[in-house]
This record gives sequence, C-alpha cells and structure tokens, in this order.
Amino acid sequence: MSVPLTSLGLVRGLIGYIAGFISGMALVLLTRLAMGAEPWFPEAVYVGGIVFAIIGFLVGVGALSDWLKWTRGIATPMQHGPPQGKPAWTRYFGVDYNHKVIGIQYGVTGLLLLIVGGTFALIFRTELAAPAMQFMTMQNYNVVFSLHGWVALASILIGIGGLANYLVPLMIGAEDMAFPRLNAFAFWVNVPGAMTLLLSVFFGGWDSGWTAYPPLSLRGAVGYQFMFWGVFGIGLSSILGSVNLIATILLMRPKGMSLFRMPIFCWAVLATSFIQLTGTQFIATDFLLMSFERSLGMPFFNPIMTAAGVNIGGQPILHQHLFWFYSHPAVYVFVLPGLGIISELLPVFARKPLFGYRWVALSSLAIALVGFLVWGHHMFTSGYQPYLRVAFMISTLLVAVPTGVKFFSWLGTLWGGRLTFPTPMLFTLGAISVFLIGGLSGPVLATVATDLYLHDTYFIVGHFHATIFGGFVFPFFAAIYYWYPKMTGRMYNESLGKLHFWLMTPAFWVMSIGQMSAGVLGMRRHIADYDPALGIAPIHVAITIAGFAIAFSILLMVYNLFSSAEVGVLAGANPWRSRSPEWQIPSPAPEHSYARPISVVGEPYDYGLAGSTYVAAAAAGDD
Amino acid sequence: MSISATNKRHFIIIGVLVFITTIALGFLLNGVLPLPKQATAQAATVDNLFRVHMWLIAFLFALVSVFMVYSFVVFRRGSHEDEGEHFEGNTTLEVVWTVIPLVLVVVFAFIGVRTLADVTASAPNALAVEVVGQQWAWSFNYPNGTTNAELVVPVDQPLTLNMTSKDVIHSFWVKEWRIKQDLVPGMTTHINFIPTVTGEYTLACNQVCGLSHTSMYAKVRVVTEQEYTAWLDGQALAQGLQPSHQALLPGLQTASR
Repeated sequence: MSVPLTSLGLVRGLIGYIAGFISGMALVLLTRLAMGAEPWFPEAVYVGGIVFAIIGFLVGVGALSDWLKWTRGIATPMQHGPPQGKPAWTRYFGVDYNHKVIGIQYGVTGLLLLIVGGTFALIFRTELAAPAMQFMTMQNYNVVFSLHGWVALASILIGIGGLANYLVPLMIGAEDMAFPRLNAFAFWVNVPGAMTLLLSVFFGGWDSGWTAYPPLSLRGAVGYQFMFWGVFGIGLSSILGSVNLIATILLMRPKGMSLFRMPIFCWAVLATSFIQLTGTQFIATDFLLMSFERSLGMPFFNPIMTAAGVNIGGQPILHQHLFWFYSHPAVYVFVLPGLGIISELLPVFARKPLFGYRWVALSSLAIALVGFLVWGHHMFTSGYQPYLRVAFMISTLLVAVPTGVKFFSWLGTLWGGRLTFPTPMLFTLGAISVFLIGGLSGPVLATVATDLYLHDTYFIVGHFHATIFGGFVFPFFAAIYYWYPKMTGRMYNESLGKLHFWLMTPAFWVMSIGQMSAGVLGMRRHIADYDPALGIAPIHVAITIAGFAIAFSILLMVYNLFSSAEVGVLAGANPWRSRSPEWQIPSPAPEHSYARPISVVGEPYDYGLAGSTYVAAAAAGDD
Repeated sequence: MSISATNKRHFIIIGVLVFITTIALGFLLNGVLPLPKQATAQAATVDNLFRVHMWLIAFLFALVSVFMVYSFVVFRRGSHEDEGEHFEGNTTLEVVWTVIPLVLVVVFAFIGVRTLADVTASAPNALAVEVVGQQWAWSFNYPNGTTNAELVVPVDQPLTLNMTSKDVIHSFWVKEWRIKQDLVPGMTTHINFIPTVTGEYTLACNQVCGLSHTSMYAKVRVVTEQEYTAWLDGQALAQGLQPSHQALLPGLQTASR
C-alpha cells in the first residue's frame, strides 16, 4: 500500500517547523523594522524563528489537534488501533495516543540520539588518540564535544521516557497513561527540541560544553540560542511527562496494588518524576534568562564593572547555582530508572524475591531528596562563600548511604538464587559492575581537598561516564533485550546479544579506568590537545579503541533488533517466567493490554514461594 | 544444592577473598595511579587523602565484586528448573548496611573538613600577587607595580593569589601544587599556598573558556629568595619602575619549616 508522505505526521511536522521558522523570523524582522531598529539582529531574529518553528512542528504533527478542537466544542473520541486506511507502521510516525506506541517512539528516538551523540564522541576521540592536532580545529573540537554532551543527555532523557511510558501502565495493569493526549504532546515536543539542538551546528554551534557557563555562553555564535531552546523543548517534555507518570502511578493502580506492592521499577519512575517535575524549571529559567540576555540585553549574568570597580551588572555564578540545582538532580533522573531496571530484573533471573523491597523502594526517594541538596559540589572551585563547601561536601557524602542500600540489596537478591545468564541478566550485572566504578569514584570528588585537584580533569569524565553507563546505558540495553519479546512477540538473537555484552563491557571498563587514570596524571577536561610529556598518549589510544568497540557493539544490537523482528523465534507470553503483570498477557502486547481488569493478590517478587501468585483477573464487580 | 545459602562456610571464604582482593587492589590502585610530583605544603595532605580514598575504593570494590562473582559460581542454576531459596529481606542487615556507611560518612566528613582547612589556610605574612586571566593569556601583578607574563615565586614563602578575569571564567591549576581556583569576572577570588620545591611548572586553564582554552598556559617558576629579588628588580627596571625591597618577602621567616 503506498502512503503519501504528507499523510505522515512527522512529515507534516517538518513542514510546520520550516514554515514556523520562516514566519517567526519574518515577524521579528518586521517588528524591528516597525520599531526603527536595525532589522537584522541574528540573536533576536533566530530566536523568533526557533520558537515559531517548535510551535509549527507541534501544530503540523497534530499534537495540538484534539485540544484545538475542544476549544471549538468538537468532541474527539479516543481512537484505538492504527489509523484507518493506512498500514500499521504509519502510526509510529505520527500522533498516536497508545502508551505502547509512544513508549516505542520515545525508545527509538532515544536510541537514535544515543548513536548520534556517540558518533560525536568518536569524532573527537579519534582526534585525541595522538598528541597535536590531527584533523580538527580547536573551534570545531569545542563545538563537537559540546554537541556530544547535550545530544547524549537528550538521548538519555528520551530513552527514560521510553522505558517509563511503555512499562508503567503495563506493570500496573492500566489501560493507558492518565493523560494520553498530554503523553503524545510530551513525546512530540522532543522532536523539534532535538532538531533545534542539532541545527545549532549550522549556526556556529556552541563552544562551552553542556554546562554553558557565562560569560562565555553570552559571547559565542548564535548557535547558543539553538541549544538553549532545544534544551527548553526537551525540558518541557520532562515536566509534562513526569506529571503524567505521577498521576498514572498514584491513581491508576488496580485493586490490591498498594504502593509497596508495585513492581519496583514504578518506584524508581515515581522518584525520577518528582525530580523532573520540581527541578527542570530551574534549567529552563536559567537558559531562558541567558537567551534573553543575548537577544534582549537583560544583564542577568554578565558583570558590568564601574570605574570604581563595583559590579553593576549580572553575576556569572548565579548561572552555576540555577544550572546545577537542576543538573545535579538530573543525574539521578538519568540513573534511578536504570537502577530500577536492575532491581526489577535481578529477582527474575535469580528466581528469588528482591531483597529488602521496602528499603530499595525508599532508597530511590532518599536519593531523589538528597539529590536536591548537593548541587554546590560542582562549584567547589567557583569562588562562592568558602563555608558552603563544607555543607555540600557532607550532603554529597550522604548520597553514599541510600546508594549503598541498593548495592547491598542487589547482592542479597543474588545470594542463594538459581542464577541464569541470558543477555538481559548479563547487562544487568554489567550495569552493577560499571555503576560500582562510577559510585566508588564519587567520594574522592566529594571531599573538597581532593576535588580541588581532580575537578574538571579527565577523572570527572571517567566518573560520570561510569555512573551514566552503569545507571542508564547498560540497564537500558538490559531492558531492551528483556522486553523485546513483549514488544515484538519474538526473541532477539541470543548469541549476538551475548557478543554485544562481551564486547561492550570490557571495553567500557578500559575506557572508564583509562579516563580516570589520565585525569589523575594531569589530563584536563575539554581540551583538544595535550602535552605528550604527561605520558598519557597510550591511555588515549586505549580509550579510543575502547570507544570504537562500544560503538561497534551497539550497532550489533541495532542489527539484532531489526533482523530478529522478522526471523526471531516466537517468544510466547512469558519467556522469562516472570510474575509481573505484563508477562501474563500475550506477546506482542495487544492494543488493549488487559482484556479484563486485574487485581493484585500477592507480593510482586515471591519467586520460590510455592502456590503464590502476584496478579489475578479481577472478580466481577471490582473496579 | 550442597550447602544452604546461610551456611557460615560461605561467609568465611568470602571474608578471606575480600581481604586478599582489598590488599591486592589497594596496592594496584596506588601503584598505577601515580600523582604528579608534590611541590606545595598542601600537596601531601591532598595526596594522603587521595590514598585513603583509594583504600576505601579497594575495600568496597572487593566487597561487592567478591560477593557477586562468588554468587555467579556457587549459585549458578543447574539443570533443574527450580527456584531460589525464599527469603525476602532482613531488617537487621538493612540497618547494619545503612548505619555503617553513615558512620563512614561522618568519618570522611571529619577528615574532609580537616583537610579542607589545611589546604586553604592563609598565613599572616603572605606575599600577595594579583592574577588576571583573559582569553587566552595570564598576567601577574606584583606589589612593586610590575606586570609579568610568568609567575615567579620564592620557595617556602606563603602566597596569596588574588585573582580575577577580564572576560570569561578561567581556572587556575598547577597540577604539582594540587590547588585549583576559578577566576571570575566581576569578583576577586583567592587561593593560598606555600610552594616548597624550586623548579619550573605549567599553569593551565582548567575551565573551558573558548577557542584557545586548550593552550591557555603560563610558565610558573619557583626560585630561591635571591633569584626572586633579582628577577623582580630586573622586571621593575625593564618596566621603568623603582626597585623596592620593602616587604617583598613578608612571611619567609615565619614560614620556614
């Protein structure tokens, strides 16, 4: 069946984006002309273009259609199944309200951006393999590492959206998310957001890294505006998505599923969503203020010194507070869902209850809470009041306590189990090993004296890549392999999956430990070239090779996922013998996941307890 | 299944393995991660704390990884489709592994505060030099009025650098000195230290600051008192200023150790 391109929401969205961009620019130009100002002021003209482009995309793709109809009093009954008269695949390229479709849209977008972000890393990794400049200039080095940062972070936020949207309603036996239209909107605003972020490269990019410290970020190319607004769009998605997830988890659980009987992943998502709902505004505000400072001349961050040496302008460190007040908790947004995946999968492959369920559940909330008290540890060298260092050092060390509870509970879960090691279990265990490296390299950065040496060196680079790979990338891959049968009805290729694991995990260890060692030896962060006298050239060669091995292994996974969708062995409803509700329904999960409402009659992880079940069909008359 | 998961034998074996792994890993970490030469009074404090951290890392890594690998070997499922031993948790254990890390946090907070006080302490007779950063160069203003492109300081003399930036944020880092401080436009930041080893070092900007951040270096020399005064006089003459020896080295006597 041939499908006209313009019937795809994505294509209409792209047209809307371009039309919006042009009209936004025109509007600003005309306004400036009417005001008698020099019309061509790129900072203002492009911002007008970007804002209208994002709105244009959302209108074009149809994410606003139902709401606009409501304003005219037109009812919009919920449509189920693929769009009428079109092939089923088209629903993935347009607005669809089914959470499983939206979850896969999020997941695939996240994976795509992860590959793009990783490719940026490979580019500058290759440059760093030898001292002296090889094929990059200093300027494009700065632009590419900056892009790597935000694109990779965007991929993580969107990947987490994929996990949460696909899994949460399935795990709690709900028909869908609480607000399906909001859910679709929250996904689709990511697309123009990510496009804007990537488009920055055609407008000079930005050269400050993802942290965008002013005054540097107030000086560079107009590409900065594309970054600010791209991140703003993705942040809007975080906020709206988290409202939806909190409402779904708190209000849509079936009879018998008290909070402490939820699948543990839902606790992780709940904690994550609280962070996203309360924290994201700070970076949004911060980036808006910077955009306004650049385009409207409002002095928020750039100091203006009088002849007497008094600052009558802005305060550069203000940005660091606003930025890290979100961006530190954001790290827990990146890792908590992944830690939830680890806690979710271990019992299945150990055939044992999750050790200390309540402690694991509450440790997620504790991490989320403490996460809001530690932002200043990114600023030990910033020049803020010296006594603040003490407070932030102690609050940062405290993060070790709930994190330790998780690690020890995982060990307790493995202990005395009947372990098997299919690909999802391997990635779960790999995640623990990598997150352990990331976690243990934390306290040395928390104590200020050692941080004053290590801050902004490659040690930090090693530390956060280990936490993010251990806390997100490895668990994300574990989740993809684990729920692949539920999404497609077929099994992935186990040998390829294992090959992926055995390539990626040792390579990551080499990369991570290599980065930390280079940092201890004196490799600074964010530099295009280094002094060969530091003796770190061989380490950089090893990191680069490891980076390419990781990239290759991820391509293996992509191939595996595509090819197995056609030729994989039929999986059946419950290939993992899981107790979780989503495995009690057919694979792939049907359009209406649960033919009948379910009720919870036992504990979620009572593996090995004879005669116990977790869920049952709800009795007639039950809500 | 030969022995129960709660049999003491498991834990004795694990205890021995954790001990051996900790020792091996601790020596390995401290061996393969050689910190640069120590050239200030505070460098030893920083390095000692770093070494303590490495031992903590060795122990915790050994603890978790030995338990994991031991489980992989001993609790691997045989041919049966059987289930694991049923235990849902243990409140005593959870309390133990919450309280012990809390105690460790308190200990490290205490060490952290003490070392912080150590490495940031100011001396009463410090020599003050003004450091100015700008894209992509450093300059150093001395009390005698000279402005120089290299930082020359006398050995064993307590120093206070008062720093600011003309444009964007930069960061002052000499790796042998183990100290780092941002230079922020619109405000003055400070850093105190006592250089203890003569020689030439490199100051490198440690906060991304635009195009040539990578190569924003300055030469730093720690010299004897005589060399220092000679150099400063030379700079003063070259810049048309009167050499002045008054209060050039205010703290040398009190600081000599």
